Amino acid sequence: MNLFQRALKNKQLVVGSVLGLVVLALGAFGPLIFGAYDTQDLLLGHKPVGTPGFPFGTDALGRDLAARATYGIRISLFVAVSVTAIAVVLGTTIGLIAGYVKGAVDTVTSWIVDFVWGFPLILVAVLAAASIGSGLVPVILAVGLVNTVAIARVVRGEVLGISEREFVVAAKAGGYSSVRIVFRHIVPNVIPVALVLSSYYVAVSIIAEASLSFVGLGAQPPLPSLGQMVSDGRNFIRLNHWEATIPGAVIFVMVLSVSLIGDGLRDLLDPRLRTAVERASAT
Amino acid sequence: MESSANHDPVVNGATNLVANYQSGKISRRQFGKGLLALGLSTGAASAILAACGGSDSGTSDAGETTDTVASGEPKVGGQLREGYNRDVSKHDPITTNWYDPAFSCIYETIVTDDYDGNTVPQFASDWSVSEDGMTYTFTIPEGRVSHSGGAMGAQQVAEILQTIKDTSFIGGVSTVPMEGYSVEGNTVVLKMKNAWLGALNPHKTGYWALANIDTWKAAGGADPSSTYGTESADGTGPFTHTEWVPGSHTLVTRWDAYPGSNTPYITNKGAAYLDSVRWSVITEAGQRATQLESGELDTLIGPSFADLERLRGNPDLTVIQHPEWSGYHLTMNRDYPEFFGDQLTRQGLSHALNRQGMVDAILFGNGDPTYGPFPKTDRQYEPKVEEYNQYDVELAKSKLAEAGWVAGADGVLERDGTRFEFDYVVEDTTEQKQVAEAVAQQFKEVGVIANLKVVDRSVWFEQASGEGRKAAPMALFFWLWPVPLDILVIFGSSETIPVPNFSHAVEPTIDAAIDEWRLAGTEEASVVASSKFQLEWADKLPYLPLMNQYATFVHQNYVKNWQPFVWNLYPVYNDVWMDK
Repeated sequence: MNLFQRALKNKQLVVGSVLGLVVLALGAFGPLIFGAYDTQDLLLGHKPVGTPGFPFGTDALGRDLAARATYGIRISLFVAVSVTAIAVVLGTTIGLIAGYVKGAVDTVTSWIVDFVWGFPLILVAVLAAASIGSGLVPVILAVGLVNTVAIARVVRGEVLGISEREFVVAAKAGGYSSVRIVFRHIVPNVIPVALVLSSYYVAVSIIAEASLSFVGLGAQPPLPSLGQMVSDGRNFIRLNHWEATIPGAVIFVMVLSVSLIGDGLRDLLDPRLRTAVERASAT
Repeated sequence: MESSANHDPVVNGATNLVANYQSGKISRRQFGKGLLALGLSTGAASAILAACGGSDSGTSDAGETTDTVASGEPKVGGQLREGYNRDVSKHDPITTNWYDPAFSCIYETIVTDDYDGNTVPQFASDWSVSEDGMTYTFTIPEGRVSHSGGAMGAQQVAEILQTIKDTSFIGGVSTVPMEGYSVEGNTVVLKMKNAWLGALNPHKTGYWALANIDTWKAAGGADPSSTYGTESADGTGPFTHTEWVPGSHTLVTRWDAYPGSNTPYITNKGAAYLDSVRWSVITEAGQRATQLESGELDTLIGPSFADLERLRGNPDLTVIQHPEWSGYHLTMNRDYPEFFGDQLTRQGLSHALNRQGMVDAILFGNGDPTYGPFPKTDRQYEPKVEEYNQYDVELAKSKLAEAGWVAGADGVLERDGTRFEFDYVVEDTTEQKQVAEAVAQQFKEVGVIANLKVVDRSVWFEQASGEGRKAAPMALFFWLWPVPLDILVIFGSSETIPVPNFSHAVEPTIDAAIDEWRLAGTEEASVVASSKFQLEWADKLPYLPLMNQYATFVHQNYVKNWQPFVWNLYPVYNDVWMDK
């Protein structure tokens, strides 16, 4: 059975992928279907789901929740992908260097990683916002920084283990350069870990962006971040709960989809990676 | 609105009750209890019941109401838990930039307003004004002390008032016609430079609260490092400053040595009934009503208007609403002349705003659009301002075009190579964010981009109050003051740049109207000057007026005598007690 056939038999991967495709389609085409996210009609505020012309209803300013939620998907995905790309590239590089070089480099790197890892995400985000202002950039930097050290920790541990394996020892004994050993023998063994971790951290990033926007540190109005929409909508939860429920449900489906894909990938690529991922999840 | 025409809270309350009873929202028993809670006699309550509900007043209802009367004697004790819709300001009348309800507990002012807006004594036992309007004399009661035990005689009162006038930024700019204070025996004498009808108004506000000047100085005075108002406060009011935690709460506790109020309408002439009052800061609009309904709060200032209908239908609660002397305005920093330097552009922006739409959508109809500086319920409101600034998108576009703005490739206006796009600062509260977003989108519809920066209160003040271009190009602000003209002149005067003239606007005709008002010694002269001021404001637009909201308060029915009314911003807490 080839990889594709095995993937089709993996229920988590299939369900996650279908949900993911739906979310992607909504993010890609939703704004084209529902129109601009900031068009307001002050006479049409707080309309419930199913209102003609507004399938998801409207918010306080009469803005179409469907248009805003689908645009919010774009923002969430943009942040999640940006953050994860930063984190995977930097985290993997740092973990590789620390784990392979060892010694003082590993000690200093580990100290810095542990130091950053000790700060709550929200505090890092506040510091970033205080330094460069509110908006998506500080969110990406803050979440990217924290996720980078998380990935660096896991990759470093993997590299420490792989470095002791026979094929690496043999390569060293054969006089190959460190660069060759790292790229030919270690990196290929670390990539599956990084891939699975990246799916996990996409989900983490979506939640982090939504959380930071919920407390006002993320996207600034009128950009419709899903977290900010939940925050705004909860003020009218008794009047028209859809204003909070719709963006909340979108966040839920996005995270569920990415999590299922991650779990499916893990099982597909290497069941033994479960331990590493669970370790990352625990931290 | 329950009481736009009538400012008597008893009448307002009775009107609410009648409406709720007739609509079936409350039972006959609750209706009767409500009337009695308002202080109406059993006979009056029965008469209203009969008028509203027919003549079949059952004996059980009568029995209930009699019981309520029997238990109507004020009960001593308990903590009043009040929800507050803003963060707390320091309890220092001189250095604060806002005064909170705790000021009504900790401090007294020398005079105050009664239910009809007439001046009555508060700390002073009496006051008078000379026939020529040049001298005000306040009689200070003998033997009064502040919470710390320090003397609060005429000397101390004159000194704190003079310090407020000389030191407070609000005091200095709003007391231009005042010469100063002196002591004659047991009286404080205020000498005027010219007769001015508005002389007493500032004295009724929290910014003129009578603090013990020695304590204030000892804590650091006006120095930014002073601990006065945060760690301590020393007034003569019925409660003492106990805890002050920004972002969380404020606590005051009963001052047992309080000798009683000189204010005629305050019925409790001794120490307060309540043990303490605690204000919880709840800036998330949706949380306020929920906490009141769940019993975590006894009273609430400023519920979300989205929750008002539900609160009105709750038989355990009473909603009080009346006009509020407040308003939402947009600053337009004139040190960005490329955007706001010309009147045509400002007028174009103003015509782009659907004020009534914002009142309906954001305030749920609980307010009025404002086309000039004043709320329309003010006594000196000039209705001719409504000839200006009406919503008309086509007119907005034509004014902007006439001002030289042309649409760029992306639809955003440009003039002389400058794109009409600027930063727009707004305080991080639910209502203000909504107003700011609504405004920004309406600007966008005429090709103007206002980029919102949502910041907390202190950052807002910092970014709105800078000199020159250090201040944001545009900021949304909300003002609240018992007498609109008193505060609006200092927002519009060229003497007060950059604070609180956040727009840095120099308008000679507005300055002239302010000068005329400051020289107004009669009601007629004051009205004429006020009218000029409003019309010039509506035309020259130092700020963009948006709308004003109605003051709204809610209390559990077991809370008695908690009666905010139109002439005071906050309730009088010395009379409040709880029947639970």
